[in-house]
Amino acid sequence: MPPAAPQARPAGRFPKLGRRIVVFFVALLVIVQGIAAFLVIQANSQVARRTINQQLEQGERVFRQLLAQNQARLEQGAGILSADFAFRQAIASNDTGTILSVLRNHGARVGANVMTLASLDNTVRADTLDPARLGTPFAFPDLVKAAASEGKSSSIVIRDGKLYQLVVVPVLAPEPIAWVGLAFEVDDAVAKDLHQLTGLEVTFASRVGPAQAWRLHASTLATALRPELAAELAASPALWAGNSGEISLGGEEYETRLAALEQRADKQVVAILQRPLAVGLAPFKRISVVFFWLTAAGLAVLVAGSLVIARGITRPVHRLADAARRVQQGDYTRHVDVEHRDEIGELAESFNHMLDGIVSREKEILRLAYEDGLSGLPNRAMFYEQLGQAVRIARRGGGNISVMLLDMDRFKAINDTLGHTVGDQALREVGARVRAALRDSDVVARLGGDEFGVLLATGDKEHAPLVVAEKIQRALEQPLVVGGQTMDVAASIGIARFPEHGEDADALLRAADVAMYEAKRTKTRYAVYSSSHDERRKEFLTMLGELRHAVEAGELELHFQPKMSLADERATSVEALVRWRHPKKGMVPPGDFIPFAEQTGYIGEITRWVLGRAIEQCGRWQANGSRVRMCVNVSARDLRQGEELVQFVAARLADAELAAGMLCLEITESALMEDPAIAQSTLRRLRELGVATSIDDYGTGYSSLAYIKQLAVNELKIDRGFVAGMEADQRNAAIVRSTIELGHNLGLTVVAEGVETEHELEELRRFGCDAAQGYLFARPMSAPAFERWLSGLRDEAGTRAGVAGA
Amino acid sequence: MSRLAAVLVACVSAHCAAAGIDVEVRDASGRPAPDVAVYAIPAGGGIEARPGKATAQIEQVDREFIPYLTVMQTGTTATFPNRDPILHHVYSFSPAKTFEIKLYTGKSPSSITFDKPGIVTLGCNIHDWMIAYVLVVSTPWFGKTDSAGVVKLRDLPVGSYAVHAWHPQERSPVEPVTVAPEAQSTVSARFTLDIAARKPKYKPPLDRLKY
Repeated sequence: MPPAAPQARPAGRFPKLGRRIVVFFVALLVIVQGIAAFLVIQANSQVARRTINQQLEQGERVFRQLLAQNQARLEQGAGILSADFAFRQAIASNDTGTILSVLRNHGARVGANVMTLASLDNTVRADTLDPARLGTPFAFPDLVKAAASEGKSSSIVIRDGKLYQLVVVPVLAPEPIAWVGLAFEVDDAVAKDLHQLTGLEVTFASRVGPAQAWRLHASTLATALRPELAAELAASPALWAGNSGEISLGGEEYETRLAALEQRADKQVVAILQRPLAVGLAPFKRISVVFFWLTAAGLAVLVAGSLVIARGITRPVHRLADAARRVQQGDYTRHVDVEHRDEIGELAESFNHMLDGIVSREKEILRLAYEDGLSGLPNRAMFYEQLGQAVRIARRGGGNISVMLLDMDRFKAINDTLGHTVGDQALREVGARVRAALRDSDVVARLGGDEFGVLLATGDKEHAPLVVAEKIQRALEQPLVVGGQTMDVAASIGIARFPEHGEDADALLRAADVAMYEAKRTKTRYAVYSSSHDERRKEFLTMLGELRHAVEAGELELHFQPKMSLADERATSVEALVRWRHPKKGMVPPGDFIPFAEQTGYIGEITRWVLGRAIEQCGRWQANGSRVRMCVNVSARDLRQGEELVQFVAARLADAELAAGMLCLEITESALMEDPAIAQSTLRRLRELGVATSIDDYGTGYSSLAYIKQLAVNELKIDRGFVAGMEADQRNAAIVRSTIELGHNLGLTVVAEGVETEHELEELRRFGCDAAQGYLFARPMSAPAFERWLSGLRDEAGTRAGVAGA
Repeated sequence: MSRLAAVLVACVSAHCAAAGIDVEVRDASGRPAPDVAVYAIPAGGGIEARPGKATAQIEQVDREFIPYLTVMQTGTTATFPNRDPILHHVYSFSPAKTFEIKLYTGKSPSSITFDKPGIVTLGCNIHDWMIAYVLVVSTPWFGKTDSAGVVKLRDLPVGSYAVHAWHPQERSPVEPVTVAPEAQSTVSARFTLDIAARKPKYKPPLDRLKY
């Protein structure tokens, strides 16, 4: 087998298995870590928010406490202030100037920003900030009322757009004689103090109605962020539910909580407590960062690890795959290295064993495929292969090569008579002889059956094909001795040369084949191909068509040649001979178309035609009173039809109302030898029918009389070659004589063919031959001519003594 | 002078024909209201005490003013003896009489003449819880209800009087009741006063180390 074209390795061959392993593990880790990260981050963020919320709530509590403490401090201060005797004295003086100045003075002592004095009937008696309020009702009667019952009161109030912690205390003398309001502004400083204590961003804001805008009074936030916060407050009503919420200020998230300080329809004051989320989330961010790096590091280690593992798996697998590919390409030389004692190592070992198995089996297959089992020579396939190779080389190198086809002559006879075992041994011997006759560089192959092929690689003079053919023929001249039997063999050799007889192996073989048949046909033992052979072949083909036409168009006709009984010189039987009256070529002799018909198998048609006509004629003659037995030639091929032939004959005889004994079928000896078993059985069936049988051309075949004895025949016809040679060679006469005697001994009638001279006739008479046929008596004639000849013979018999009448 | 003469006349006639006014004061729930100041202003106008004649005394005992309520005729001179071992600083910012007696112990360094009618609230500058009221009235006929809520005004000349009742913790002033007692007889007047409970102010315990 030619090595298969190397299959291209898949391009960009990345270790797919490895990739799958890596991808699987990486995906697994990513998914697991992703889920973990999701949970951790979510938990973190929840915890962070909760923590921040808690911080805020705690901050609010601290804030409120601080606020309360602050308030208490202010109230206390106010209480002490209002109890100051000088203060009370000044108030009691009822002098507005004095009152104002003492308010300012004592207010400064406790850090109040605004001091207001109101009479018991809630009329402002003095105000350190706004003299216009003098005589107007005090703006915070509720506080006065609370102070009346509690001794003091305070509240967050808005005054002139500013936020104050207002403390109202009575001026006691020792009964309340007036109310003094001390207002402490809630400003950025206050917010900052609270921020330092709580750690929260603190903003105070107010609005005068639910739909009104928030106004920021004090804050620890940067000034730029404050308007933003005011806007966010309005936009986040959810914060009013007491929950914490997130507010984005200046791009930063703040967890925000509102602490309501005043909740009235017309006045809402809140403290906004905030903590930047980033600050609260920072610890959780750190956890996330650590988690991220852990994941990244784990991923890297995993990728590296799984790559190593994958390599460990895929590299040996790739080596195996490469090895398998090499095997596919026909390279069995390299084993796979077994590196590890693991599963893959086992696989590699099994692979190597498999490789050894393939190598040995392939050798055997090659041997079987390319070697002829019988002779040990290369077979047809190998021969064809080498011929093709030689042709390719010759085509490139311009050398010339020759092909010979050698076919044994009549080898079938050996097989049939001596058995296949002997035949096979004979073939082996022939192969060995041919092989021995050639150079080592030449190829000798058995192409099948009894056909051998020879390929001559060089074309020098001593090794010219004709010389070689001669050499082979000489080698075959010596008789073969097989199994104690000696036999002669002969072969026909066809020779074709490259490049003149064929450009390729097929053409060369065909040419050699044609030449070989030519050699057989011409019996020249060997022949070099010539294009005329092809023309002859063409003629054959043309002839086949014409022959068909001839049968259908009635161009065939029967001629008859009598067989003379030597005892009484009477025509006892007649041989029907087919003639072809070709419309253009005229009369075609049987030798020109019968062998052809036999070769092509068309003989069957012709035989039937002849049989039909001959029996019909015989019947007519019998009806006319002329009893002559009709002899018809049948070929080996006809005999092979067996029962079919028997039935046909029986039917024709019945049609012609002719007794079976009036028909004799003549079979050539060589035909009998072609397929003795079938011939034997068919002959027996014919004999049973009553048809007489005759062996034609006896002496040309190699049949022994012992074989003839087995055959159900009535008659032997001695080949004309022996008869014609009798006069010149006494040996031929002896053969004729002994044949006649032997035939008689076997109970057969003996007929001599081709009798042309009186001498021959005399001799045959002397030998006791029963009948003779030949030009001496009559040439083959048409039916009417034969009838005339027959009647003439009768007339002659009437006049000539010793000649028997009809 | 004519005014002085008129008083004298009235006084003489009063001696001759002394009348009386029994006043009963009850609180809003109908119970007798004690320590309610009651005074009767004659229809002819108020009468001041003669200078130096009338005196009053408001002590400081156990860091309290005693009595809590003093009713006095205009022109009465009051002293503020300190019975405590510690100093007191009595003052008043009341328009009817503003004064102060700076830190002292024992006998008050000065006496105070209450020359204008009205309510004077007394305080101590050292002890915020100490409080006392002085009701200065321009009539010699005044009194405080007893535990039965009754006060009997006697020896009034026959005539028409506006009887007033006042209490420091009254929630609203009551209208005066006009009576005209006959000679040698007594008339009654009734008042119902809505009086709030006195709010006790925080009084720290004595510093015992001092004793």
